[in-house]
Amino acid sequence: MRSGWLLPLLALVVMVAAPARAEQGVTDTEILLGGSNSFSGPLAFTGEQITKFGVDLGFKAVNDGGGIHGRKVRTIWYDDGYKPQDAVANTRKLVEQDQVFAVIIPQGAPPVVATLEYLEQNRVPLLFPYQSSTVTRGRHWVFQGMTMSDRSSRMMIDYLVGRRKYRKFAALYQDDEYGKSFLTAFEKDLARHGLRLLAVESVKRGVTDVSAQIAKLHTAKPEVTFLVLVPGPGAQALRERQKIGWTDTLMVSTGPLTDERYLSLAGDAAEGVEGLSLWPDPLTSDLPGVRRYREHMQNYFPRNEPNRYSLAGYFAAMLFAEGATRAGARLTRESLIAALQSVKRWESGILPPLTIGPDHETQKQAVWVRVERGRFKQLTDWLKSE
Amino acid sequence: MTIAALVHVVVSGLATGSIYALVALSLVIVYNATRTLNFAQGEMLMVSTFAGFTVYAHVKLPLVVVMLIAVAAAALLGWVIERVIIRHAIGATHFDVLIITLGLSLVLRSAAGLAWTHDEFPFPSFFGTRPIVLGPVRVAPVSLGIIGASLALMLGLWALFTRTRLGRAMRAVAQNQRAARLVGISVERVYAASWILASVVGAIAGVLIAPVVFLSSQMGLVAINGFIAAVLGGFGSMPGAVVGGMLLGVIENLAPLYLPSSIKHSVPFLALIAILLIRPGGMLGRVARRKV
Repeated sequence: MRSGWLLPLLALVVMVAAPARAEQGVTDTEILLGGSNSFSGPLAFTGEQITKFGVDLGFKAVNDGGGIHGRKVRTIWYDDGYKPQDAVANTRKLVEQDQVFAVIIPQGAPPVVATLEYLEQNRVPLLFPYQSSTVTRGRHWVFQGMTMSDRSSRMMIDYLVGRRKYRKFAALYQDDEYGKSFLTAFEKDLARHGLRLLAVESVKRGVTDVSAQIAKLHTAKPEVTFLVLVPGPGAQALRERQKIGWTDTLMVSTGPLTDERYLSLAGDAAEGVEGLSLWPDPLTSDLPGVRRYREHMQNYFPRNEPNRYSLAGYFAAMLFAEGATRAGARLTRESLIAALQSVKRWESGILPPLTIGPDHETQKQAVWVRVERGRFKQLTDWLKSE
Repeated sequence: MTIAALVHVVVSGLATGSIYALVALSLVIVYNATRTLNFAQGEMLMVSTFAGFTVYAHVKLPLVVVMLIAVAAAALLGWVIERVIIRHAIGATHFDVLIITLGLSLVLRSAAGLAWTHDEFPFPSFFGTRPIVLGPVRVAPVSLGIIGASLALMLGLWALFTRTRLGRAMRAVAQNQRAARLVGISVERVYAASWILASVVGAIAGVLIAPVVFLSSQMGLVAINGFIAAVLGGFGSMPGAVVGGMLLGVIENLAPLYLPSSIKHSVPFLALIAILLIRPGGMLGRVARRKV
């Protein structure tokens, strides 16, 4: 038989020609990233903006500039609707079927926490999760994105008690990992000042009616009421407060909530509300990185209004590109981790110079803002959380 | 709890209750005429409200016009669904039709997600948000507005059912289809009219509640509480639907003041179980007794 030796020979040629086992999700021409995010449910707007208009915007710019060591970045997104069980299923699909190199910017503490163990077991990098619980801190395969709840809490309490001299606090929080991690941190930081929360009320995830909770918090007469919610219920709380004419409390939103979405839903009920903002103003900031982001948005998605979600996603794409560039032409998951760990005083032009330490946190600061005529006005410089 | 806070909570509960009552009424209208439980009522309401909103988002028309557009869309939707789907299932069992409407609700919700995304949208309101102050009591104009508009609509329905030929025909069909047919009433026309009427009532409820809960593909879930309200009042009874809705709204708002806030979402079901234990036919309903 003439072809008896042909097949084994061909196989040998292919084996020799192929490079030493390439990393999953990385070819000579492409890096494949993916993520499970909210494209339905209460965080659908956020999810769409951070991924399709944020991360993808950043990578479009990177790809059009020649890619990373000649490789273009491609992304795959799946919808989990803010449900942990769907996030787990999506993440398995990304890793096992689509064979992604890393997971990027999944959203919300409950879905992210649900996938953490699986990703670590499979040694898949989890990059910049868009959530604030401290569960993701100090893990080898995770680089935390958003400023964590304990740092946010320290900045908020120190600013409000130290500089603004408030003494009486209450909180309305979402009854899950997101809300509870903030609540614990508030209690700890208030205790440092010899204070405590006068009243706390919880809101179930995905619920929009908060009238009973607001009525109960009102009776406790706090000077400051923290809102640890997502935009829908956050806006509801402000409107409910306006409905009952409760004016003698300062409503303060946590970093994850302080955004344009919450403002547009609340309308004039948001006037005078303050909060911690994790990002410079995407529409008005003159920082070079934010200007570049606006130019790119204008070029690639001219119909999409700039907002801090797409800015966060854009930042995540820039930071990934920085890490992957540092990792060199032979990109592996381990080399990416090592490269990101080596980032020192990196200028994004969006956030202050970034140094990533062994805690793997990529964002540690925030500024204080107040809503004036429907826009966030910055009241402080970057606050410190160390 | 002060009296002022209590008044606010009760008024706010009556407002939510009015919406439950309207949804309950639209369920009862279809049920009485066709013996069908329309599980897609909530999604029909949501889609109609979105139709009004789409026009509003493109051309800023006055809100009255937006409501009329929503109502027209609802009438069309009700007519199409009855004509294209439900009428073909006329020989099917009630259970089959129930499953059809359940499927329809899922289809409508996904379709709304595709057309308008699953995002939440702020919806313009007829009423202001600044509270009206009466001594120590503060009442939200939006609550009073919703209650007023709902009561007016209920009065209109009452007039329709007691004073017009169509209303009498609908009642006749509800009582006895065969007899109605014998006296020359077109049962098919009554079927279509019931679906259109129910859809329109739902759309008005949708436009009234959308500014409060925000417009989203999830808005149709209000129908669950509407259904409970209808059962509370005695399924099939129109005054019962109104009383059941109002009661449910008030209980649901009052309970968390005295109990942990998280109990709020169990309240409708607790109320339902309690009523069914005490009065199996609902508050104003009749228990159908069968002699064996």
